[in-house]
Amino acid sequence: MNAAIQASGLGKQYRRAWALRDCTLAIPEGQVAGLVGPNGAGKTTLLRLAAGMLTPTRGTITVLGQRPAAGPAQLARVGFVAQDTPVYSRMTVADHLRLGAWLNPGWDDHLARQRISQLALNPKQRAGSLSGGQRAQLALTLALAKRPGLLILDEPVASLDPLARREFLQGLMEAVAGQRLSVLLSSHLVADLERVCDYLIVLIASRVRVAGEVSDLLASHHRLSGPRRDPGTLPAGQEIITERHTDKQSNLLVRTDGPVLDPAWAVKPVSLEDLVLAYMSRAGNDRPASPQQLKAVS
Amino acid sequence: MIRLSMLQLRVQAITAAVALIAFAVLLAATGPHLASLYAASGLRGCQPASCGQRANIFLQQVDSTGPYAAVYPLSIILIALTPAVTGLFWGAPLLARELETGTFALAWSQSVTRARWLAVKLTVGGLAAMAVTGALSLLFAWWAAPLGRAAGLGGSGNSLAMNQFNPLAFATHGITPLGYAAFAFTLGVTAGALIRRTVPAMAVTLAIFAALQIAMPLWIRPNLFPASHTTVAITSDTTLNLFTTDSPHTFTFTLATDGLAGQPGAWIRSSGAADAAGHPVSTVVPSACSPAASSSGPGPALANCLTSRGIRIAVTYQPASRYWPLQWTETGIYLVLSLALAGYCFRRLSRLS
Amino acid sequence: MVEFQLDETSGVATYLQLVQQVHQALRMGMLEPGDRLPTAQQVVAQLAINPNTVHKAYRELEREGLVRARPGLGTFVTRAPSGPDPATQARFLAAMTDWLRSARAADLGPDDIEAIYRTASRTCFAEGVA
Repeated sequence: MNAAIQASGLGKQYRRAWALRDCTLAIPEGQVAGLVGPNGAGKTTLLRLAAGMLTPTRGTITVLGQRPAAGPAQLARVGFVAQDTPVYSRMTVADHLRLGAWLNPGWDDHLARQRISQLALNPKQRAGSLSGGQRAQLALTLALAKRPGLLILDEPVASLDPLARREFLQGLMEAVAGQRLSVLLSSHLVADLERVCDYLIVLIASRVRVAGEVSDLLASHHRLSGPRRDPGTLPAGQEIITERHTDKQSNLLVRTDGPVLDPAWAVKPVSLEDLVLAYMSRAGNDRPASPQQLKAVS
Repeated sequence: MIRLSMLQLRVQAITAAVALIAFAVLLAATGPHLASLYAASGLRGCQPASCGQRANIFLQQVDSTGPYAAVYPLSIILIALTPAVTGLFWGAPLLARELETGTFALAWSQSVTRARWLAVKLTVGGLAAMAVTGALSLLFAWWAAPLGRAAGLGGSGNSLAMNQFNPLAFATHGITPLGYAAFAFTLGVTAGALIRRTVPAMAVTLAIFAALQIAMPLWIRPNLFPASHTTVAITSDTTLNLFTTDSPHTFTFTLATDGLAGQPGAWIRSSGAADAAGHPVSTVVPSACSPAASSSGPGPALANCLTSRGIRIAVTYQPASRYWPLQWTETGIYLVLSLALAGYCFRRLSRLS
Repeated sequence: MVEFQLDETSGVATYLQLVQQVHQALRMGMLEPGDRLPTAQQVVAQLAINPNTVHKAYRELEREGLVRARPGLGTFVTRAPSGPDPATQARFLAAMTDWLRSARAADLGPDDIEAIYRTASRTCFAEGVA
């Protein structure tokens, strides 16, 4: 299958800080990919690199087989909705549709007007006086009506109330079902991503921690609980993500390719939210070992 | 993209149209009467001897009757300020507002490249700014034509008959306003690109534009072409001033002129006392002329005495024929600056988000 | 047309929930052979889930032989699941309803009724396994 987005060693540096580092990804086409991570992890940077808003400091990225923003034809194939869904506040809804029609050769005016009337937006209303949810829907309409092959959305529902959020995702999924569309969207609400995503990327502190199809991720991560055990005795191929021990009990979250055969463990499935939280807490503990710790291990 | 640029300039274009129409109405209401005053003054086809006199009468008449004395300076100020206004309100927000509000993300994810987006917006906005200023100055040139002719025929000493090299006159007539408009606009766009906030960009644009508009007539324009030099005799048109000193019976004098016989409409750069060869001389009144100085003050007697001592007046000037070369050169400088700034904006474009 | 619902807390995969709801609708006679299932677009427009989930559910139903996808036309029910016919279903539904009414008349609350059901259910199906 072709990759919608392919990155290799991608990195972006601002002054002295790296917003994104060593990012290597291959997101398949025709899927809805979710990008999750804490604030400041580099999600916006990765999305902007994919949309061609930024140029990489290091590494490469190709989108639908070409360099982002390489020319008008490539720009036409990628739709982008930035954080806080910016619109021209003094222009009306109808003006925005005109903007889309004038600037995009592949503009589907029928689709745009249909969506606008379905959403009950007043074409003569200034975009600045729309509610947050309406603005987001307008931005989504503009991005969808140019008939892109890939749609990139940066936290599109972050500042919306639950109803507006649900309506936005309904509209987005309806469009995905209707067109052959790949989507990459970021959110810090894992519950939303669990509903809509086939593919998940966890980005923490400017690095990709885990990426894969959601079904594979859920099948390969398990909660293990049982009597107190030294984690070193686990078989190879089982990677511990997080561990908690009391004097009598051990609770682990592990990643494994094969089944867990040891009968001493009670094995439970993991929700996507737990999975993401586990990786986040592991990244938080990533500190270089102190000399005492190193001595104890050897 | 052209239609989008025009859509985004909608409000500004309407404001400019309203101002243009109001100005045109004002000039149309007063212009024909001014023309008829000129026709009645007999300046057309006048004998060279009487032209100066007739011109002065005409200018006096215009100055004292009707609204002309108010319309003239109002128009001058309007044309002088318009490049700054378009630079501030059309140029500065072009990039700054998009960067400030985040709408650049919407604009640059459409199917046009950033370069084309900026190129069209710069061209449409820049040409529009030049057109507005050009229209205003064209209307004014039509209206003030009689006054200009009267000044050219020797009328002087009137605020309505400015020498064409007067800084305010030079900046509001001819083609220089077009250059200023283009420059102020691209300066505004560049400031917006660097500062990324509309109001600070407007302030910086105003500061830099004002500084250049002051520096140009003071230091740059006078040195664009080598000046001509000549030495003439002291005449009744020469300004002769006398000053007392600490020592009794010793006086100093200064000589100046604001016109040159045989060079109507010339730009007098400087003038001063000199000998026949043009070298500056001492400005202490020679002792032989002291009686003339002390008794009658700076009068014809003193002038004759100085002349008999071989003292003349040296004048540094640009002849009237230099007017259009200066206009073209100055406009060219501003246009080159505009293009350089525009080029810089394109180079910075890829680093903007 | 059957309308799907999603129970996010049940821990059952979304596509399986859709499959189960189709099974249930077929059993209760709300869906009959020849009926068209809602399109993926209609389902996701209401539930805000990934269309591939719907495709996965419909593929599973097709694998079970219950539905068939006709390109360009939709997905149609081909046969009812093997099991008791609607008449038998209706008979037991009526008997159950009567029993519940008399249980309520005897002041049994929903928790009591559920406890009774679970105990009886365990006993009954355990007998079957042995």
